[in-house]
Amino acid sequence: MKKVKKPILLKLLFRILVPLLVIYGLLLLFTYDRNKENALNETKKYLQELTKYNAEKLDKEFQQIVQASHSIKNFVETAMPITDEQLFEFTKKVVKADDDNIGSGIAYLPFKSHLRKEKYAVFTTENNGKYEMKDLTELYNYLTEDWFQIPILLQHEYWSEPFWGRASETLLMTHSVPIKVKDETVGVSYADVSLQTVSQLTKNINIMNGYSYIISKQGTFIHHPNAEYRMNETIFSLAERYQRPYLRDLGQKMIAGESGVASYKDLNDDIKKWIVFTPISSTGWTFAAVIPEVEILASVNKAILNQSLIMLLGLALIVLIIIWVAYGISKPLRKLTGLAGEVAEGNLDVKMTGIKGNDEIQMLAEDFNSMTADLKQHINKLTKTTKAKEAVESELRVARQIQESLLPRIFPPFPDKKEFDLFARNIPAKEVAGDFYDFFFLNETQLAVIIADVSGKGISAGLFMAITRTLLKTVLNETNKPDIATAKANFTLCQENESCMFTTMFLGIYDLPSGTLEYTNAGHNEPFIIYQNGNIKKLESDNEIALGIMADYSYHAQKVKLGKGDTLALYTDGVTEATSPQNQLFGEERLLRVLQQNVDSKLAELTDKLTQQLQDFQAGNQFDDITMLFLRRNS
Amino acid sequence: MKRIVWIILVLLFSAVVAKPVKLEVQWYPQAQFAGYIMALEKGFFSDKDLQVEIIFSDGNDEPVQKLKNGEIDFCSAWLSTALKKYDPQNSIVNIFQVLQKSSLMFVAKKSSNITTPTDFNGKRIGLWGGDFVLQPTAFFRKYDIEYELIPQSYNIDGFLVGAWEVASAMYYNEYHKIYQAGVDEEDLVSFFFADYGLNFPEDGLYCKLSTLQNNKEMCVDLVEAVQKGWQYAFQNKEETLDIIMNYCYERAMRTNRAHQSWMLDKIEEAYKYSGSENEVEPGVLPIGDYYRVAEELKEQGFLQRIPSYKEFFRRIVE
Repeated sequence: MKKVKKPILLKLLFRILVPLLVIYGLLLLFTYDRNKENALNETKKYLQELTKYNAEKLDKEFQQIVQASHSIKNFVETAMPITDEQLFEFTKKVVKADDDNIGSGIAYLPFKSHLRKEKYAVFTTENNGKYEMKDLTELYNYLTEDWFQIPILLQHEYWSEPFWGRASETLLMTHSVPIKVKDETVGVSYADVSLQTVSQLTKNINIMNGYSYIISKQGTFIHHPNAEYRMNETIFSLAERYQRPYLRDLGQKMIAGESGVASYKDLNDDIKKWIVFTPISSTGWTFAAVIPEVEILASVNKAILNQSLIMLLGLALIVLIIIWVAYGISKPLRKLTGLAGEVAEGNLDVKMTGIKGNDEIQMLAEDFNSMTADLKQHINKLTKTTKAKEAVESELRVARQIQESLLPRIFPPFPDKKEFDLFARNIPAKEVAGDFYDFFFLNETQLAVIIADVSGKGISAGLFMAITRTLLKTVLNETNKPDIATAKANFTLCQENESCMFTTMFLGIYDLPSGTLEYTNAGHNEPFIIYQNGNIKKLESDNEIALGIMADYSYHAQKVKLGKGDTLALYTDGVTEATSPQNQLFGEERLLRVLQQNVDSKLAELTDKLTQQLQDFQAGNQFDDITMLFLRRNS
Repeated sequence: MKRIVWIILVLLFSAVVAKPVKLEVQWYPQAQFAGYIMALEKGFFSDKDLQVEIIFSDGNDEPVQKLKNGEIDFCSAWLSTALKKYDPQNSIVNIFQVLQKSSLMFVAKKSSNITTPTDFNGKRIGLWGGDFVLQPTAFFRKYDIEYELIPQSYNIDGFLVGAWEVASAMYYNEYHKIYQAGVDEEDLVSFFFADYGLNFPEDGLYCKLSTLQNNKEMCVDLVEAVQKGWQYAFQNKEETLDIIMNYCYERAMRTNRAHQSWMLDKIEEAYKYSGSENEVEPGVLPIGDYYRVAEELKEQGFLQRIPSYKEFFRRIVE
């Protein structure tokens, strides 16, 4: 099969896929920013939720501390007046209940305690599994401490900034609530949580490979992975030190209790990071998660990549469809091409099958099938005709064999007659010839020589010739006069000659002893006599008509005498009208030249030479029967 | 051999001359004491063959009293503190006035609608104890202010959460801590006592009169080294801050570099301050300021007799 230079598949792929790729590419390009923004917003939302969740988790721990100071307050307010023992039992219970509570107690304003002392402040804590209530007044003047003074001044609960607790000897935050007895503020109840606890809780929070921190209401780092920041730096001190005004703005939002997302270059590594912050509601602190932007972009890019992958999958699907469609078109076409090749090689039994779809391809397949069917039918017909023709031809061959057998074929025909030589040849143009020659003795001394040319060719001419020949033989039984014999034959031939066939004929009666030839020429070519000396004489005739035309026509006879060595040459128009490929006629001149040159040749030789010359001249294109007959007087 | 003998002699001599000198400052290490720290760290003391030990007070002892007791040789103290402790029988003298301008101030939030001293009336005012009350007392008397006094701790939390409307602050310290807690300067109203005729020069270097009399050379050397220390600190602030932050770190102090940087700048301003009344040179106690502080102390009953300026301040270096 021939190789296809530009297959349909490639064309379709190129014409559909390339524009599609361009469209997809543009689509990706134009939607990238929006997709990125969407993905970023999604990530933002997710991070905010996550941060809020963690802040709430932390808040729960602080809520327990808040509850502790509140329950002490409630106990004191309702149980007043109380004893130290009662207070110890209760505060012990409260501290015991929460692992993160490192100590709780109450502190009174001067002279407001149940003991009416000037100063009264106690602190219950656990020490090596033993609970004890310490007297704070021995340690320091609590009256000016923020955790004591501020809630009383503000008249509401207060979370202190982290400070060094002298009673528990650790950095801690205190939650304190004013205690009111009969509408009079008498002091505060409080509960402590250590900074270490907060750090411990925060340390384990890991959001997207970032870190998290907590800042107080003042922006102080309560927890930060960088230990040097803790309790030393505030978000504002960092903004100041590194001259980052936006960080100050951000910090102000944070301590105002806002939540949000922002991005900035980290102070430590100068890497672009995102900060997601949310308030811890009970303490008023802010929990913040700092995440490298690459982490976020990685998740964003992953989302965009997924989108692109879906697009690519779509493209792949389209490619598959194109291949399917192209295959659907090209497969039957290829099959058709193959089948057409087979048809060209002669196999007409091929048939396109399995084509569905009611489309052009199917139509083409149907047309192809009907074409081969028609072709096959046509060829069958042709085969039949050819067979019939061959049958006719073989019959014609038989007819010719019969005809040939009719003509005398053995030369010399009369070996015992030394007085003359005779040689004749008939070369039919078609299988059955219309020309014929004949010779036979009428009696001991008279030889009849006949050459004739039936009009038309083939079977009918052959049949007419056979009739004419038989007729001549019959009439020449009755007379030895050529004119009478010719007239008789003519008369008979004219009867029932419905197909209006005719024949030209030269009939000569040669008298052996005298060498005289008496002849009648019924419209035939005028023969020649070639004298021994090479002179040539045309046997003139009276332009008498051919046989089979006019029943009552009377023919005339003429006489000529042959000398020793003279030759009578009879021929049909097949000789003189033999045509060359250049449409030239052989003509009388060429004939006469052959005859003159072969005056001394034997007749068989002469016949061969003339035949050869004619065949050379015609170069294989014989249109008419060629017949010749030579008679030479020897003595 | 001759050389070694010389070296031994010099060493012996040095050991005799370089007696350890104790110098106490009134608070933990911070940029407020940059001159002393840098004099020590840059070897300006040892250049003068002085072996100085800087003692940082925790605020609970009284350096001036310790000076009088002979426990230390030199101390940094406010003018008012030193004057209050003045005893003609056991005289102490100012040999170098470090800070010419008072950094003590009142600060309020603009949101509390305080713009003039009279607006203080009826407000809660956070006050520190001790010598920090001298200027406020004079201020309240001057403007006839009735107020609610809140004993203020050494942080700014109460002010920030609104427990009191007016807070006492040092310009180089608490004022900036408020800023570092996220309050912008434009949201604050400042009342510098210096601007209300109450400039009480603060840190000065003191020694016993007897020390000066018996070992003037050493005192001169020390003052010169301290002076050089201050000049170095102001000219090499980053290096100074590095060293101060190290001091703070060693003592686990809760501070940050930006804050110490601010403090160093403000201390420099106070060091180089020259009041409009008369031109003053750094290190020299202005006579007008001296008598203002002394008069106020007498007024408030802290001082019976005002020592003369010449008695109190001794200019021992040019």
